[in-house]
Amino acid sequence: MSMLSTAQLQKIALLSDTVLYNEAVAFIRKLVREQDCAPLPNSQVNGLFSIAESSSYDELYRFVVHQRDRNWPPSKRDIKTFYTALEQELSLMYRKRLKDEFLLLTQQNAQEMRKEANDVMALLAREYIQHLMAENGVLQAEAEADDKRKQNRYQKQGRR
Amino acid sequence: MSNTAQSNEMKVIREVSIQAENCYKAATALGDHAAHVLGNRHRAQMTGLENVADSTFKTSDVFDYIKRQTARQPHWRQPSPEEKNSGIGFGERLKNYLEGKLKESLKEPLQIIYHHLNIGNNTDEDQQERKRIHLLLIRQIIHHMVIQYEYRVSTPQNNPTNKKRES
Repeated sequence: MSMLSTAQLQKIALLSDTVLYNEAVAFIRKLVREQDCAPLPNSQVNGLFSIAESSSYDELYRFVVHQRDRNWPPSKRDIKTFYTALEQELSLMYRKRLKDEFLLLTQQNAQEMRKEANDVMALLAREYIQHLMAENGVLQAEAEADDKRKQNRYQKQGRR
Repeated sequence: MSNTAQSNEMKVIREVSIQAENCYKAATALGDHAAHVLGNRHRAQMTGLENVADSTFKTSDVFDYIKRQTARQPHWRQPSPEEKNSGIGFGERLKNYLEGKLKESLKEPLQIIYHHLNIGNNTDEDQQERKRIHLLLIRQIIHHMVIQYEYRVSTPQNNPTNKKRES
């Protein structure tokens, strides 16, 4: 059970609004618009979201690494790209930003600090993934609308 | 709550109300857009948005909710027939307006409130207060928008779906 203080929880909420929201939007837009990846399919969205909502950070991280390291068929390489990038983001957050940038750790003892870092990361990752999934849905709907428009154009050209 | 805290809170409420009043026209235009694209069969989606805005402590929860609705519900992606050149769907228009990053959005009203109340941007406390005010303003805009939506879909002569049928 999380033993974080009210101040820590308030700071996490503030970071979610001011930092994580923009970063999550930029993260998924970069993958889809610049690296030509397909948005994450619904089955993956549901899986990742439910793990983020209900699990500890260790479990979530293990899930992300497992998905990254799976032997995906060529048609699903974009999923591997997504989890590779997500693992890098989470690792950077855990190893560096939590302590140096977000200033969220209060414990001195190494064991307690690790427990606190895991509790904080579980909440930060949950916020980040919620924002990421919401933007992913919008990009998915845009991609579907584009496909439909293309299909209609081909059909019209075929009729001529 | 001490007298000073109470007085400060009254100032916040007053400033937010003034700016919400200034945004009334934009809020009702969004309500009209919602009435056009949702019609009177999707009231629950408007109530859902109001509930999220009223119950959350984070502005990003409101934006995420709008995005989820935009992704799931085709109605939320439809542009308004009244604004022929924009082509922007209801969900995206609403999100852009509330996020307050673009010129024609809550950006200016928020800056005015922060200025009038002397709220800086350096400390966590300042930023927390800015976010709280942003959320209070969002709530009022959404309430105005939903009331306009209700008005448009519940009065037959104002219901855009009826007008479409007549023409």
